Amino acid sequence: MRVIIDGKECEAGYGEYILDVARRNGIHIPTLCHSGALPGQGSCRLCIVEVAEAGKKKVVVSCLYPITGEIEVTTNSERIYRMRRNIVRLLAARAPSGEFIKKLREEYGIPEETRFKVDEKEKCILCGLCVRACEEIGLSAISTVNRGTTKKVAPPFEEPPEDCIGCASCAYVCPTGAIEVQEFEGKRVIWNRAFELLKCAGCGRYFITRQQYEYIKNKHGIDMKEPLCDRCRQKSTAEKLIHLL
Amino acid sequence: MIQEKRGEDLSQVKSILDRYPRERRFLLAILQDIQKTYNYLPREALNEVRDYLGIPLSSLYSMATFYKALSLKPKGTYVIKVCDGTACHIRGSMDLIDEIRKLLSVSPGEVTKDGRFSLETVNCVGSCALAPVMVINDKYYGNLKPAMVKEILAGYGGIRGDWDTK
Repeated sequence: MRVIIDGKECEAGYGEYILDVARRNGIHIPTLCHSGALPGQGSCRLCIVEVAEAGKKKVVVSCLYPITGEIEVTTNSERIYRMRRNIVRLLAARAPSGEFIKKLREEYGIPEETRFKVDEKEKCILCGLCVRACEEIGLSAISTVNRGTTKKVAPPFEEPPEDCIGCASCAYVCPTGAIEVQEFEGKRVIWNRAFELLKCAGCGRYFITRQQYEYIKNKHGIDMKEPLCDRCRQKSTAEKLIHLL
Repeated sequence: MIQEKRGEDLSQVKSILDRYPRERRFLLAILQDIQKTYNYLPREALNEVRDYLGIPLSSLYSMATFYKALSLKPKGTYVIKVCDGTACHIRGSMDLIDEIRKLLSVSPGEVTKDGRFSLETVNCVGSCALAPVMVINDKYYGNLKPAMVKEILAGYGGIRGDWDTK
């Protein structure tokens, strides 16, 4: 199926999302809540584009809009720029502190917010990617709580979460760095709970929490006699293969 | 404000749970029933629900904090809802709230010390023609004047103690 994105002809599969096709063809669409591992969150609205189909133009969210016909997409029209600028402004008013938000604000020339009350320290844009990551892992130790202006992401009763294994996936997927993780002296502190870190049996680097190690072993039944970090595991697998040859 | 009571009798939670299949979609109905029975959601009850439905505690907490009808802290035996929608606001709902505050020494969102009344403001109860309106549990009181509040509250036993010195 043929689509035109910013004047460039692109090949797209039926039902493929605009964002994926654009990225494959080297066309940049800004995103915040999009993660390759957890696609289709669709909450930041930064990736809006203009779609022309059968002579009609409409604005859609490119990370969630499936291509089902021959369409023409514009990712940076005057209209899109104006709308996206507004979205950036609102996101920045909500969470001005994240690095990526600051960059976007500069890029779109957004002045200091005077109209809304702003919490200068806030980083969270409430996209919910962290909640989804935790759910995918099978724990759901955190969720969104309250609603409206007091909505936030937190563990139950805002206490150190019982169900958490300290894997820090939530912090890893967070587009604005809003979830704090501290590591020191063989400990990791996240969501106000401290976890003991284990050293890699190969290189001796701290890399996994005890709870995470146990969880992986139990859930996937992987036979790990000792914790090995990614790099050392690859090395040991490669060595085993060499012996086989 | 009243702290969560320790060692709440949870036998009724079990009978509530027995009425529902173990499916996630009944979560809200279960929480509503618990709220109705205990006037709030005791923490141990939430743990029971979690174990019964096999869902994470975070989903329960998320729902319990989302809906205004659910509360994690004990509410009073009588929940006074003063409508502060546009019509009621214009017709003096703030005066009603001030009067209740004076009589019961509670502000919106709080419970009286004896645990009998809690005061809330709501955005509309759909009875604008009766503005200003106050609802106590499920009973509606319309066309109110601040002077009428004392008698209505007396009908619910008022606040214990020296009622008339105020």
